[in-house]
Amino acid sequence: MSTLFEAIGMVCQTDVLIAILLSSIYGLVVGSLPGLSATMATALLVPVTFYLSPIAAIATIISASAMAIFSGDIPGALLRIPGTPASAAYTDEAYAMTRKGQPEMALGIGLWFSALGGIAGTISLMLLAPPLAEIALNFSTFEYFWLAFLGLMCATLVARSSPVKAIASMFLGLLVSCVGIDNPAGAARFTFGSVDLLGGIEPIPALVGVFAVSEVMRAMLTSEPPKLPYRRFGSILAGQIALTKQYVKPQVRGNIVGIIIGVLPGAGADMAAWVSYAMSKRFSKTPEKFGTGHPEGLIEAGASNNASLASGWVPALLFGIPGDTITAIAIGVLYMKGLNPGPTLFTERASSMYALYIIFILANIIMIPLGIVMIRAASHVLRAPRAAIMPVIVLLCAVGAFATGNNLYSVMIVAAFGIIGFVMERNGYPVAAMVLGIVMGTMVEQSFVTSIIKSDGSILPFFERPVSAVLASFTIAALLWPLGAWLWRLRSRPLAQ
Amino acid sequence: MQFSDRVTGLFLVALGGLAAYGGSRLPPVPGQQVGPDVFPMVIGTGLCLCGALIALGVGKSFEEDPEDETLSATEVQSGPPDWWRGLMALIPPGLLLFYVLTVDRLGFVLTAGLMVLTTATALGARLRLAVPLAIVAPVLVHLLFSKLLRVPLPPGLIPMPW
Repeated sequence: MSTLFEAIGMVCQTDVLIAILLSSIYGLVVGSLPGLSATMATALLVPVTFYLSPIAAIATIISASAMAIFSGDIPGALLRIPGTPASAAYTDEAYAMTRKGQPEMALGIGLWFSALGGIAGTISLMLLAPPLAEIALNFSTFEYFWLAFLGLMCATLVARSSPVKAIASMFLGLLVSCVGIDNPAGAARFTFGSVDLLGGIEPIPALVGVFAVSEVMRAMLTSEPPKLPYRRFGSILAGQIALTKQYVKPQVRGNIVGIIIGVLPGAGADMAAWVSYAMSKRFSKTPEKFGTGHPEGLIEAGASNNASLASGWVPALLFGIPGDTITAIAIGVLYMKGLNPGPTLFTERASSMYALYIIFILANIIMIPLGIVMIRAASHVLRAPRAAIMPVIVLLCAVGAFATGNNLYSVMIVAAFGIIGFVMERNGYPVAAMVLGIVMGTMVEQSFVTSIIKSDGSILPFFERPVSAVLASFTIAALLWPLGAWLWRLRSRPLAQ
Repeated sequence: MQFSDRVTGLFLVALGGLAAYGGSRLPPVPGQQVGPDVFPMVIGTGLCLCGALIALGVGKSFEEDPEDETLSATEVQSGPPDWWRGLMALIPPGLLLFYVLTVDRLGFVLTAGLMVLTTATALGARLRLAVPLAIVAPVLVHLLFSKLLRVPLPPGLIPMPW
């Protein structure tokens, strides 16, 4: 109990509360602007977190990402342009509702069920993480190797593109993580004689490049989204309680699916929304109403993407394996703040973990009033011309990257990864899989080499230890899945014709 | 910037081959069964395999890119030719490179101002918007990062009073 009070004390510090409030507003604004994703909002926040206390730093990431995922629904409902990729799954549905003259309803659903979903995700984090930490305390490098490997495979399984391209992206990320002397042998790999490359390629500048610079590059090729007409909204939350009671099942299902997808490494809010929307349509009694402004799918997918956010922290906090691209950034911040991910975090730094839960709950509660203000101000915020926002983003990329290491080499990394991310996305290679490879490459290699040294060259212990064996079988199943699915398609194709 | 799968696949084959070759030349570490050469070689082989499969069009049937619909709908249909627009996309990374090369000499505010001005005009802003933005944004960013976050930004030709 005393840990809980200690945690409340930690959250109630003035700097933490100010950090939550400011980053919430920042998240709401960035998320609502089309083309600026929640991951980008988080990536650009990293240099600011350097100078905050550990709890305030985590608070900024949690609140900015939660707000951005909700506020991506706003331009989706009003302009039919998703503000973040996580809203893309149900943008048509929300816009159809606006056309029917119910924009309040569409936005209200987004807000209310996002907040509820976020709280459900937090509860899952609170319930799942501590018992998993108990088990994980017994993990050795063998288990960590399989976990990391399984995480990499998950990212390729759930990508919405060809699995071969996803695996190729993952290998690219792993190759990036090979650069430098940060390997078990301490050998300089792929440094081409450059002193800067000896230190390797840091994930954070790479992430800023992939998620922010490539977005500005894309903006250069697309035309400005249409202006939002001024409109006055009625009550935003009217009728939401009735909807909550009416659609209990879709909402619960959305939360659960979101939580599961969040826990899977590499799959985040956008994936959760797509899966939940499709699932809602399949299990609905009235699937024909989908796409005409029907609340059911919106509720399920809106709850799902916010639920996935919190549960994405489960593997991140326990094993240092990112549950999604946002936690990939968060892991970097955790290390920087001395909160190294691992099961001991829950025993030795329990109060910090409680503080994290409280921040999540708090962020999802203040999402409702702030969200209402944001919806009412949306007509003004969304009028900001892209030509005024994108230049500032480029500037922040440069300064932010410079601030991460006080050297200009990081800025070059940002530029290079901007191009890489842009080209990959254009050609259907999922960047999230590459990001996961970059973040986890060192962990895979380190745990493999350490295990091999421990077992004196034998690979048997990788399969002998009970937990290790289970994880190994999961991983092998994940490895064989694309092949199996391909063969199955090949067999079923002649039948379909 | 959009290539056929054959091109990207073959590129990956080449990259994987180079990675595996580069890895194979790394010296082994005495007493360590798995040396620094193993991972690059595994990754390189994997990349080669994936690249070959992509070039052959395997797994194409899985691709269903929903984002493409929304993207292509907003894509500019008329205007300058493709290659020109392709070059436009290189402006942001080009500006970052410009920043790296000149910031120590010109100073942060001047370099940043030029970056903002270029990006804004490239996105079609009128000078009425671009010029004030190019003056205000760098100063505000300098205030935030240099004063509040203590990032040592080079003063260069126009030092800020704080």
